[in-house]
Amino acid sequence: MNAIIFSAGWGIIMMFCSFLVKNQSSYRHIAAVGLLVLLAANIFDTYGVDFFHIDSGKMLAYTRFGFVFNSIAIASTLIYVLLTGRDIERLGRYTAEFFTLVFFVLCGVCLLSAYNNLLMLFLGIEILTIPLYILTGSDKRNLKSNEAALKYFLMGSFSTGLMLMGIALMYGGTGTFLLESSRLQSNLYHGISFLEIVGLLFLLASMCFKVSAAPFHFWTPDVYDGAPSVVTSFMATIVKVAGFIAFLKLCTVRMSVTSTAIDWKLIFSIIIILTLLFGNITAIFQQSVKRMLAYSSISQAGFMLFALFSMNEYASKGLLMYSVAYCLATIGLFAVLVKMKDVTFEGYNGLAKTQPVLAATNAIFLFSLAGIPLTAGFLAKYYMLASIIKTGTYTWVVVAGVLFAAISVYYYFRVIQAMYFKNGEPQMESFGRSFKLGLVVLAAIIIIVGAFPQALFNWLYF
Amino acid sequence: MNSFVYLLDTVVTGNSADYVPIGIQIIFAAGFVATVMIATHLLGPKRKTAEKLENFASGIESHGNARQPLAIKYFLVAILFVLFDVEVIFFYPYAVNFKSLGWYGFIEVLLFVCFFLTGFIYIIKKGALKWED
Amino acid sequence: MIALLLILIPVIGGLINLFIKNESSAKAFSLIVSLIVLAVALGGIYTSQADLLHFDISWMPDLGSRITLELDGLSKILSLLTAVSMPVILIAVYKDHYPDAGKFFGLMLLCQAGMLGVFLSMDALLFYFFWELALIPAYFICSIWGGEKRIQVTFKFFVYTFVGSLLMLVAIIFVYFHTPDHSFALKSFYNAHLTAAQTQWMFWLFFIALAIKMPVFPFHTWQPDTYEQSPTAFTMVLSGVMVKMGLFGVIRWLLPMFPQAASSNSSIIVTLTVIGMLYASLIAIKQDDMKRLIAYSSIAHVGLMCAALFAKQQAGIEGVFIQMFNHGINIIGLWIVVDVIEKQLGTRKFSELGGLAQKAPTLAILFVVMCLANVALPLTNAFVGEFLMFSGLFNYSPVMAGTAIICIILAAAYTLNMIRKVFYGNTVASTEHAHDSSFNVNAALVVLVILVIVFGFYPQPMIDLTRETVQLFITKIS
Repeated sequence: MNAIIFSAGWGIIMMFCSFLVKNQSSYRHIAAVGLLVLLAANIFDTYGVDFFHIDSGKMLAYTRFGFVFNSIAIASTLIYVLLTGRDIERLGRYTAEFFTLVFFVLCGVCLLSAYNNLLMLFLGIEILTIPLYILTGSDKRNLKSNEAALKYFLMGSFSTGLMLMGIALMYGGTGTFLLESSRLQSNLYHGISFLEIVGLLFLLASMCFKVSAAPFHFWTPDVYDGAPSVVTSFMATIVKVAGFIAFLKLCTVRMSVTSTAIDWKLIFSIIIILTLLFGNITAIFQQSVKRMLAYSSISQAGFMLFALFSMNEYASKGLLMYSVAYCLATIGLFAVLVKMKDVTFEGYNGLAKTQPVLAATNAIFLFSLAGIPLTAGFLAKYYMLASIIKTGTYTWVVVAGVLFAAISVYYYFRVIQAMYFKNGEPQMESFGRSFKLGLVVLAAIIIIVGAFPQALFNWLYF
Repeated sequence: MNSFVYLLDTVVTGNSADYVPIGIQIIFAAGFVATVMIATHLLGPKRKTAEKLENFASGIESHGNARQPLAIKYFLVAILFVLFDVEVIFFYPYAVNFKSLGWYGFIEVLLFVCFFLTGFIYIIKKGALKWED
Repeated sequence: MIALLLILIPVIGGLINLFIKNESSAKAFSLIVSLIVLAVALGGIYTSQADLLHFDISWMPDLGSRITLELDGLSKILSLLTAVSMPVILIAVYKDHYPDAGKFFGLMLLCQAGMLGVFLSMDALLFYFFWELALIPAYFICSIWGGEKRIQVTFKFFVYTFVGSLLMLVAIIFVYFHTPDHSFALKSFYNAHLTAAQTQWMFWLFFIALAIKMPVFPFHTWQPDTYEQSPTAFTMVLSGVMVKMGLFGVIRWLLPMFPQAASSNSSIIVTLTVIGMLYASLIAIKQDDMKRLIAYSSIAHVGLMCAALFAKQQAGIEGVFIQMFNHGINIIGLWIVVDVIEKQLGTRKFSELGGLAQKAPTLAILFVVMCLANVALPLTNAFVGEFLMFSGLFNYSPVMAGTAIICIILAAAYTLNMIRKVFYGNTVASTEHAHDSSFNVNAALVVLVILVIVFGFYPQPMIDLTRETVQLFITKIS
C-alpha cells in the first residue's frame, strides 16, 4: 500500500510544484527525491512496515514478488530521471507535469503488481496508460508526436474496451471479479464456463496489445518512433515490463486453471513465434537506431512471453531478471540516443574515438540486450529458455527463439560496428561528467547482476 | 402470466449447446443486413450527377475548409465541466448510504472532496479558466 | 589455486593493458603478463600437490552452478599450448606497429583468459560463459585491426559461432534438467538420464556448436575468410589455440556425455570430416595466397583430429591429445613467417614472390622446418600424432583411412609447392631488396623449431602427461 499511496501523493505534490516552484531545473531534483522516498517506502513495505493499513477487501494481494518488482520499477525510474532529467526539461514548458505523469504511471505499476481483482487490473492498466497518451504527445509542435499520441490513444482505448468486455464475460462465467477465490476452486468440479474462456481470450488480446505482442503490435513502431525519445525510453521499459507482470499473474492464476479446456500453451507458442518473427525481421531493415530499438522492444517482448508460456518458478524469476536487464540496458541506450543529433546508424559512426566511455557503456548495454554472458541480459534469456525447457514440451519454441536471438545480434551489433569500426564525427548535445558516471554505474549494475544474480534473488527470500 | 412461468421452468445447464439459438440469431441478423444492403445496391436506380455527389449541408452551399483553427478555450472549459460533473455523480450513492456508512464513510468522502479540490486549485492556478489572456 | 591464477592473471593484465597509452610499454607489459602465465602453467604441470590444481567455489546456488576449475591431463596440455603460444606470438610481432597497441594486446590477453577458462572449467555453465567470452575480444580484434573486408567477414564469423553456441546452450539447459542432482557439474552431466531420442537431439545440438568452432565441413565457410582478414598476430591465436576449443569440447563434453549417440553417428561425422579434409586439401592446391593456403591446410588437419576422435580407437585418441598441442605449435610457426613476409614485402601472393631464400636464408631454413612439421615428416613433432591418428582411423575403417591418407600426400604437394615458389627460384621485383628476418622473429621461430624437434624425437613426456586422462576418457566412452 505504501508505494501506491506515496506515488499518487507525490504526483500531486509535483503537480503543485508546477506553480509553486519557479525554477525549472529543480523539478527533476524534487522528482528524484520523491522517487527515493517511494523506493524507501516500498522497501519498508517489503519487510512488513506498512504505513497505511487499508483493507482492500481482497482486491489487492501483496506478495514478495510484487514488492521486489515495484522496487525494480521505481529504481529504474530513478535512474531514468537522473540520466535523462536534463533532456526532459528541453521538451517544453510542462516539466513538472511530465514528472507528475511519471508518478501516476508508477502508481499504476504498483497496482498491477498487486492486483487480485479484475477491476483492479483494469484500474491499474488505465492509470498506467492514460498518462502515457499525454506523454506521447508531449512534443506539442511536432507532427509525428501528435500522430503517435492519437494513434496510441485510439488503439489503446479500443484494446481497453476489449479488456472490459473480457472482464464482463469472465464475471458472467464465474460470478466473481476476484482472481483467487473459493468460488473458483469449486468451479473446477463443475466444469469450466465457456464464457470465462471467451473472456480470457479477450483479456489475452488486450494484454497482448499492451505489451506489444504480435499480432497486436502494429502500433508499437509508430508510437515509439513518434514519441519524444525520453518518453519512448520510459514507455518501452518500465511500462512494458509492468504489463508483463500483470499478464503473468493473470496467466498463472486463471489460465493455468482453465488449461484443461483450452490449450493456452499452443496459443502462446504461436504468439511467441509471431512476435519474435515480426520484431526481429523488421528490426533488421531499420536505418534509425530509435526505430530499431522500437522493433527490438517487440522482439524482447517475445522473449518475455516465454514466461507466460511456461508459468513456473523459473518464469517468475526470469521475468524479474528480464525486467532488470531489459529496463536498465534500454534506458542506458536511450539516454545516449537523446544526446545524439543524428539517430541513424551513421550518426553513431566513430563514437568510440570521440566518446570512449559512452561507446563502451553502450556496447555493454547492447551485449546485455543480445544476451552475451556476463551481462544480466544473458541470465534473463537463460531463465526464459530454461523455463520452457523445464516444462518438457514445445522444445522447438526454444530452438526457434534461440535462432531469433542470433538474428537480433545482427542489428544490435550494427551499432557496435558503427561506434567502433567506422570513422566519423558524431554530433552530440552537451553533457556533464555526472552523465558519464551514471552510465558507468548502470553498466556496472548490469555486469554485477549478470555475474552474481544471487544479489537480486536473495531479495526474494530474505 | 403463463409465459413467465415458462421462463422459470427453463433448466440451467450452462453448456455451450445453449448458445446455439444465439448463434443462429447472430447469423440471421448479419445475413439479413447483408442481404438488404446488397439488394438495395442492386435494385435501386443509379443516377450520378455532380450535384448529387456534393456534400449536403442543410441546403446551404458549402464553402471553405472545415479544418480551421478555433479557440481551445471553449473546448477546455467544456471538458473540465464534464470532468467535475461526472465526479459529482459520486455524491448520489453516498447520499443514499449516508447513515449506514457512518463517520468512516464521511472521512472518506471528505478525502475525495479534498482530492477534488486539489484538482480544482490546480486548474485555476494554471489559468485554465481564464477567459481572456 | 593455480587453475584460478591461470585465468585471473591474463584477465587483470589484459584489463590494465587496455588503458596503457604508450605502445612500447603496452607491448612489454603484455609480454611480461604472458610470461607469468607461462610460468604458472609450467608450475601447474610440474607441481606434485594435487590440491593446487583444483579450485571450487559456490557461484549461483539458485541454478546449481559452481565455479569449478581443474587441471587434468587434457587441460594441462591445452593450457600449456595457450600459455606457450602467447609469448611466442608477442615476441614475433614485437617490432610491428599497431595503432592503439594497448587495446590490441589487452584484448589478446583477455582472449587468452577466455580460452584458458574454457579449457579449465568443469562446470557446464561456466564453460559456456568462457566459450562466449573468448569470442568477444576476438570479434573486436579482427574488426578493428583486420584487413579490408574485416567488418563483414568478422561478423560472419561471430554470427556463425554465436548461433552454434546458442544451440549448445539449449542442449546444456536441457541436459541440466535431466541431471540427477540438478547441477551443472561435469560429473552430473555425465550421469544425466536421457532417453535415446533425446540423446540424439542433444548430441547434434552440441555437435553443431563444436563443429562450427573446429571447423568441420560443411560449417567451415567462415574460416578461410576470417584467417585471411584478421591481423596475423591474431590469426595465430585463432588457428593455433581457438580451434582447439572445438576439439576440446568434443573430448571433455560431447563424447563422454553421449557415448551411444556418438557411436551411432560416428560414420556420418567421420565421412563428413574426411570429405572436408579432401575438399580443403584440393582447394589448398589451387590457392595463390599464403594465408588462405595455410587456412585450408588447417581445416584438413583439424578434420583429421576430429575423425580420429569419433573413430574411438585408443591409438587415435592418444594421437589427438598430443596432436592438438603440436598442430598449434606448427601452425603458429607458419603464420609468423607469413606475417614477416607480408609486413616486409606487402604481398602474400606466390605469383609476386620468389627467391626469398637468397635474401633471407635464416628465415628460409626455419620456415622449411616448420613446413616439414606441417606435413608430418618423421622426426618432427606432428609425425607421432598423425601416425597414431591414422592407425586409429585405420582400425575403424580402412576406406576412410585410405582416403584421409591422400590428404597427407596433397599436403606435402601444396606445402612444398609453397616453399618452392616463395623461397626458391629467381628473385622477382618485390623480393629484390628483401632482407633477413629480425632477431625477435628468429627467436620466436627458434623456440618453436626446438619444440618441433624435441617432441619429434622424444614425445614421451607428452604421452605421459595425458596417459591417465586418455585412459579415463576411453573407459567413459566405451
